[in-house]
Amino acid sequence: MRVYLRYAVRETFSNLWRNRMMTIAAVLTVAVSLSLVGSALLLKQSAAQASAQWQQGTRVTIWMQPTATTAEIANVQSQLANLPIVKRCEFFTQQQDYNEAIKILPPSESKVLTVAAMPPSFRCVPTVPANAFTVEATFSNQPGVYQVTAPEQQIREMNHAIRVLQIVFLALAGVLLLSATVLILNTIRMAIFARRREVSVMKLVGATNWFIRIPYITEGFIQGLLGSAVAIGAVTALHTWYPLHNEFQLSMSALLGTNAVVLIVGVLIGSVGSAIAIRRFLDV
Amino acid sequence: MIRFENVSKTYKNGTPALKDISLDIEKGEFVFLVGASGSGKTTFLRLLLREELPDQGRILEAGRDIGELPKWRVPYLRRNIGCVFQDFRLLPNKTVFENVAFALEVIGRPRTTVESQVPQILELVGLTDKSNNLPGELSGGEQQRVAVARAFVNRPLILLADEPTGNLDPANSESIMALLERINRTGTTVVMATHDKALVDRMRRRVVELDRGEMIRDQVRGVYGIDEGVTL
Ligand SMILES: Nc1ncnc2c1ncn2[C@@H]1O[C@H](COP(=O)(O)OP(=O)(O)OP(=O)(O)O)[C@@H](O)[C@H]1O
Ligand SMILES: [Mg+2]
Repeated sequence: MRVYLRYAVRETFSNLWRNRMMTIAAVLTVAVSLSLVGSALLLKQSAAQASAQWQQGTRVTIWMQPTATTAEIANVQSQLANLPIVKRCEFFTQQQDYNEAIKILPPSESKVLTVAAMPPSFRCVPTVPANAFTVEATFSNQPGVYQVTAPEQQIREMNHAIRVLQIVFLALAGVLLLSATVLILNTIRMAIFARRREVSVMKLVGATNWFIRIPYITEGFIQGLLGSAVAIGAVTALHTWYPLHNEFQLSMSALLGTNAVVLIVGVLIGSVGSAIAIRRFLDV
Repeated sequence: MIRFENVSKTYKNGTPALKDISLDIEKGEFVFLVGASGSGKTTFLRLLLREELPDQGRILEAGRDIGELPKWRVPYLRRNIGCVFQDFRLLPNKTVFENVAFALEVIGRPRTTVESQVPQILELVGLTDKSNNLPGELSGGEQQRVAVARAFVNRPLILLADEPTGNLDPANSESIMALLERINRTGTTVVMATHDKALVDRMRRRVVELDRGEMIRDQVRGVYGIDEGVTL
């Protein structure tokens, strides 16, 4: 066993060194594709987290016409009070809305505002975020109602954008993973080709199949491993210095989980690449 | 030790190579396999190594039908069979010592075994002082002696040689033959395919002659040419 370990390690590293250019190409391709996979996964997780945070505070705002009558306002208010899907509502007078707008908007814009032009509003929290839509549908066309806004729509748009980005990342990563596998396959093939004399002598003197194969399998495995190591570094660096999600810090466990996936995929393509090469080119 | 029972072999492309061969080779025998080019000598040896399987008949080695062996056992079969070829098949970037040691290392022999066996076998083939030379620095005869050392270092029961003197001048052929005889005297069964008429005639060993895949002669103290021997 010890003899074999020494032999396998020596063979593996001399193969890696002999084909170092190919090895570097394979490792880098693995690294780039896995960085994309890692980023896509992080993006997905931060998107999920972001929408969860937004949804917790989801509010529906029913803006009344600035000219809405007291009766119209009272009507909406009583309906809201009787609607079971609305947890609570707060009425903002024109003055309160004006004060808020002055605070939020830059002076250049808020200068033109007047209290009379401001719509009074109901700030409501639905029981569950999904109910924001029902509230919107119920009140949009009622007399005196100017507009009903729910951030739901924005969340959807953001999620949609992230999903598209994610699909693009994953598609790119898929193509690159495939080429990484082919590159690994090719380096192993070259290693086998460079060693064909050794292999034929080994077969002749009765070396077992696994004895012959294992150095090539570990070679692919190591290429995958190195590639994922670089990718893990890149993903972690990206996460630390350039979060894709400014306000929403991802947890350490999300990062660890992503890195675990990157590691597993890297090792897997290394092993698959070498397994194919061995099946096709190492006739033992 | 070796038994062919009605063995026939036709290659996948339809070339018939051996037809209905039956013979017994005892432990410790020395057998020459002669015949024109393409008569099936190499095929005979490849069947013994289970590099090919017969289409018909059985081949027994040490009492076991080698056709029945599961694929994973084949390497263990080959550990009992040493092989020497016309083209030496040495590894050019390994020294003489390393070439011989390689045969032991790749079947998992411990380093202590390698360090005791290799010098011993190099002594036997008379190449102790060339231990650290590369094959490219040796003469053809010396290279073939390294190949014989590699084939024999694991003390196989059977030694197969496919035209081992084919690339050598008479003097070197002579030394290889002396070596094979010496190995044979240790009880190893030797089967040697050859075209070398003079050599076979001089040795007076068992001769099996093939002709287009058929065994046309099996003579105990034979000579190369069929006209001089007693036919079956
Ligand atoms: N791998 C193969 N595939 C197909 N046909 C083969 C193969 N090897 C040998 N043959 C054919 O089988 C026949 C016997 O070949 P074999 O190599 O056994 O002859 P041989 O006696 O060793 O000849 P030589 O003295 O030239 O080495 C020949 O007709 C040859 O062309
Ligand atoms: Mg031949």
